Amino acid sequence: MYRDFGTILVAAILGIIMVAVPLFLQSLVAPSKKTKEKLETYECGEVSEGSAWLQFNIRFYVIALIFLIFDVEVVFLFPWAVVFKDLGLLAMVEMSIFLVILIIGLAYVWIKSDLDWVKRKVKYAAGRYERIQIKENT
Amino acid sequence: MDNIFIIYSLLILFLPLAAFVIQIFFGKKLPREGDWVSVGAISITLILAISMFVMMLLEYNPDFRHEASFTWLDMGAFSIDLGFLVDNITVIMLLVVALISTCTHIFSIKYLAGDIRYSRYFAYLGLFTFSMNGIVLANNLISMYMFWELVGVSSYLLIGHWFEKDSAADASKKAFLTNRVGDIGFFIGIMLLYTAVGSFTFTDIFNGVANGMIAGTALTFAGIGLFLGAMGKSSQFPLHIWLPDAMEGPTPVSALMHAATMVAAGVYLSVRIFPILTPDALLVVAYVGGFTALFAATIAVTQNDIKKVLAYSTVSQLGYMILAVGTGVYTAAFFHLLTHAMFKANLFYGSGSVIHSMHHALHEKHDHETDPQDMRNMGGFKDRMPITYWSMLLSTFAISGVPLFSGFLSKDAILAGSLSFAQHHPEHFLLPVFGFGAAAITAFYMFRMMFLTFHGKPEMPELIEDIHESPKEMAGPLVLLGTLSIFIWYTLPYLNPLSSHGWFTHLVVPIDSVVPGNPSANSIEEGAHHAHGLAMYISIGVATLGIGLSVLMYLKKVLSAETWRNRAGFMYDWSLNKYYFDENYDKYLYQPTLRLAKKIAWIDWELYDKYFINGFGRVTSWASRVTGKFDYNIIDQIMVDGFGRIVDNLGGTLKKVQTGRLQNYLLYVTAGIIILMIIQSF
Amino acid sequence: MTNLQSLSFYYPELILTVVILAAIIYDLTLDKSQSGKVGWLLVVGLIGVALAIVFQENKVTTLFSDAIVLDPFASFFKLIVILATIFVSIVSLQSGELKAYRKGEYFTLLGIITFGLFLMVSTVDLILVYLSIEIVSIMSFVLAGYLKQNTRSNEAGLKYVVYGAFSSGIMLFGLSYIYGLTGSTNYFEIQHALAGLDSEANTAIVMAMILMIAGFGYKISAVPFHFWTPDVYEGAPTTITAYLSVAPKAGAFALMIRFFNQVLADGGGMGGLDSSSIATLPWPEIFSLLAIITMTLGNLVAIQQNSIKRMLAYSSVAHAGYMLLAMPVMSGDSMYAIMMYLVMYLFMNLGAFFVVITVQNKTGGETFDDYKGLGWEMPMIGIVMTIFMVSLTGLPPTAGFIGKFYIFASLIKGGNEFYWLVMIGGINSVISLFYYLRVVKVMYFEGESHEKIVQPPTVMAALLLATAIPTVLLGVYWTPIADWVQRSLVFFIQTL
Repeated sequence: MYRDFGTILVAAILGIIMVAVPLFLQSLVAPSKKTKEKLETYECGEVSEGSAWLQFNIRFYVIALIFLIFDVEVVFLFPWAVVFKDLGLLAMVEMSIFLVILIIGLAYVWIKSDLDWVKRKVKYAAGRYERIQIKENT
Repeated sequence: MDNIFIIYSLLILFLPLAAFVIQIFFGKKLPREGDWVSVGAISITLILAISMFVMMLLEYNPDFRHEASFTWLDMGAFSIDLGFLVDNITVIMLLVVALISTCTHIFSIKYLAGDIRYSRYFAYLGLFTFSMNGIVLANNLISMYMFWELVGVSSYLLIGHWFEKDSAADASKKAFLTNRVGDIGFFIGIMLLYTAVGSFTFTDIFNGVANGMIAGTALTFAGIGLFLGAMGKSSQFPLHIWLPDAMEGPTPVSALMHAATMVAAGVYLSVRIFPILTPDALLVVAYVGGFTALFAATIAVTQNDIKKVLAYSTVSQLGYMILAVGTGVYTAAFFHLLTHAMFKANLFYGSGSVIHSMHHALHEKHDHETDPQDMRNMGGFKDRMPITYWSMLLSTFAISGVPLFSGFLSKDAILAGSLSFAQHHPEHFLLPVFGFGAAAITAFYMFRMMFLTFHGKPEMPELIEDIHESPKEMAGPLVLLGTLSIFIWYTLPYLNPLSSHGWFTHLVVPIDSVVPGNPSANSIEEGAHHAHGLAMYISIGVATLGIGLSVLMYLKKVLSAETWRNRAGFMYDWSLNKYYFDENYDKYLYQPTLRLAKKIAWIDWELYDKYFINGFGRVTSWASRVTGKFDYNIIDQIMVDGFGRIVDNLGGTLKKVQTGRLQNYLLYVTAGIIILMIIQSF
Repeated sequence: MTNLQSLSFYYPELILTVVILAAIIYDLTLDKSQSGKVGWLLVVGLIGVALAIVFQENKVTTLFSDAIVLDPFASFFKLIVILATIFVSIVSLQSGELKAYRKGEYFTLLGIITFGLFLMVSTVDLILVYLSIEIVSIMSFVLAGYLKQNTRSNEAGLKYVVYGAFSSGIMLFGLSYIYGLTGSTNYFEIQHALAGLDSEANTAIVMAMILMIAGFGYKISAVPFHFWTPDVYEGAPTTITAYLSVAPKAGAFALMIRFFNQVLADGGGMGGLDSSSIATLPWPEIFSLLAIITMTLGNLVAIQQNSIKRMLAYSSVAHAGYMLLAMPVMSGDSMYAIMMYLVMYLFMNLGAFFVVITVQNKTGGETFDDYKGLGWEMPMIGIVMTIFMVSLTGLPPTAGFIGKFYIFASLIKGGNEFYWLVMIGGINSVISLFYYLRVVKVMYFEGESHEKIVQPPTVMAALLLATAIPTVLLGVYWTPIADWVQRSLVFFIQTL
């Protein structure tokens, strides 16, 4: 039992050594000439400006989340598509239920206008975001 | 069938409770103050009770018996089962309660119309009906005791319904406290039986007694203890003082509780526990009952308040029933309970009807001085209130023991029982004398009441124009119950007016006492049967004598009541003043108790406090000053407050652990896990 | 049982799923002001689910290839959870805090938590253990931070997320140990495999179990895993606080009882750990220690609180400690006692929180100062709050007394070695008297008298009565509950 863990320990130590030794060697061998340009974050891109800790639009996050959900849905669909002929009607029904639940989710975000970049002031969401918009206006 | 009976009886039990709950919470807000809720609920119970009764008749089985129980408290070795018992006696009793209760509800609609606590009155009626049904259905002593107390509470509430009147408030207190005296005995009896037998249910107790788990003096005391409870509730001498005062309550209440049902609970209890009463206990029961019967009758003769006459008559009739239990013919006691419930309730409704119209008449004349209940102010109402008169007359015949009426049958059975008992035990010859004496006097005073109220010339002629028959809500119950005073209802399918032979005697069959030494049910039956003929002749004789005297004195006025009154001298005064019982209780019981309490208080204050305590105090005060310092500095400051402070400080310290910083929390959790791991490795 | 066959026994959960979907769709058709209607949909749906559970065929089996079990034990906890959810849903409709928000999502999330708890009380697979805890946790995070305009609520939500992620991470670490040791995620196989391991592996097993206890402890808020409790309870909407203090706690106890009985005990379930296949493990000690520090710390810190809500948070920590007291014995009696306690606790704790909500709706305050003279101003609140406080203390004749009675009785039956736990439990009850009766004292003996009497709104009054009446009634007549618990103490047990 403990020997198994020992093996893992040996492997871990070996792993660390195998990373650390080349790094150490190259720092001895490689020349090091530091110029201002070389130390830029993006050496050949835009000049970075200000702090990276800034508030960015929450919509990025929402869109990413929605994308993720429907992306994963497709991942489930691929293996199903391969074998559904063998599984027959049952697989069809099961997948339909799965899709219906997801479609309800899609309908939900749609109606809540989470698919639009600029939020419509829809009836159902009325009031909910009013306060935020007033803040933006002032 | 089992389930039907249990379900019906559960419904009968809980419908009035539901009505009570609705009335007490929402009564004022409902239309008509919700009287229809109560009347509706109680009518349904009546229908259920009638259908149970019919089903019982269809079975026509003396051994008819259904029992259901459930565990109330379960503490492993100690558990209390509560349950219901439905047998012939229960079904009959349920019908009586439901019938009289329904009549009372209907009667009260008009009688109490406009009362400020109208809805509350109906609520309490519901509570009472619930608790009374609970007593009837109980298959064990403990739940019977609970409902017994509930009945006491509802009686207290209803007697004191008009609590603005001091007399009503006092009467309700008196009723409650007097009952408490009996209930202590009841409780001691229950506990004696429970410690010996280990169960509360009747079946277990009967078996236990039959197996000799409790016998001799202990059993006698247990029986007398239970009987004390019955004495309190059934108002037996010397605990009879509360019932006449209880007439301060509304008259329909008097009819329901203080004539037909609640006071009969004592008799019902005695009937239920009859098999475990020892010969000694039975003798006590017989003498208490017999004496009460005669004694209360002699008081009733001189009373002028129409309700007081009926109240003492009730006490006397309850004495009859108790006498019957004591002499062994306990089914006769139950029979009399049944017939008495009908005719006495009717008499109370009748008196209520009379008082109601008197009250209105006096109100018309703006006379608030005259007592509407005093018979000396009445007379000649016969033609003004024919329904009341005729129905009351039927019931009066019944109570006086006139053949063709129900009372004759049941009273005859009781008197035959006591006569047979005296034949077997000649030294107890007083028992039948009590019985027959009371029968004669009963006939006399009941007709006196009828004649004074309905016959002769009006004593207050100016009122007679305003005396009217009561509305149909009040007349209905009168007619119904008046009809039920006729013998035929109790002897069907036989039509012999001189014998109680019929469905009742077929279905309610006495069982043997389980106490060794008591005669068997058969031998008692046999004895009573032999004495029946003789008892019947004597009883018809004494009834005729009583009625005749009454006719001569109050109807024909051949004999002057005045002269006889003077001739009786001090006896009249004694009777009129109820043998000075209240005064004597006051003088020899309450006042000495108060004086004793005052003396003890004096001793406590003047001697004990001043010399003993203060002296002791002075001696100890310097000592205490010394120890006080020790106490304050060491015990209080360091130990007692210390504990509080430690708890407080610990809390304060531990509170600081909750810093509100998430990173600290996570650190603590990790530390906690590591500590746990370290601990377990030891 | 195969998946398709299983479905026919899984219909309560299927109904619940449909209710949740229906709630989402229904919410989309409603205006903001109307969105409370979703709550009624949820209540009706849950009643349907409850009926489905009650009338379900009384069968003891596993479903979905040994992933989930169907037994009376699970049904008992499902009904408890439903009862709590129904209570909380109704009270949420009355809550002043939630007035400014759309409530559709709120009720949908409550429904999903209920589903998660269903899974939690019936699972016998480590993967599902983790999944169900996550379902419940994630929904709770959102609900704790539901008051978007309220910074305290936001704080509560965020703290809860981080703390929850950390705890479930630790638990997952423990689960991975177990999987590593046994090569399976199924309870039955794990038990079989653990029994076959030699004593060398004990250290690893104990490590894994302690890590798992950290996860369970987080859900039932046992010290030292309770730190989220006061902050989240205080910041979250009071309705959610009430819910979190009852339903997930019940679910976690069910999970814990099932896990330790199936995996570590001999599978007899009622035999206790003494007859365990791995009896050398120090279970009674670890649980005793946790129970003692949990109730002691909960009670001591509760004395110091000025906010009733926060006081109740610590009190719920203390009550978790009382329930944990029965865990070391691990006998049939002790599980019976825990289940009894949960029923009693449901009514009294929800009731106490309902009082807080009522007062909050009226005055907006939740500190002791806001309760001054309340007993005279709102007599009904005063009376029911007194009942709940007395019951939480565990004084007769209330439900709390019966709950404690069974816990202590199971310990005394467990043997001499548990007597000291009873003593410490008793001392703790005395300490708790300080702060529970302080509420009563403040309500009746402080503040000015009020001429005007205020009655709570009808629905609130009904809810208060619906919790206060059982609190008293179960203190006097608890036999039906005892019978129900006795019937429900049937596990699905399998030994390979």
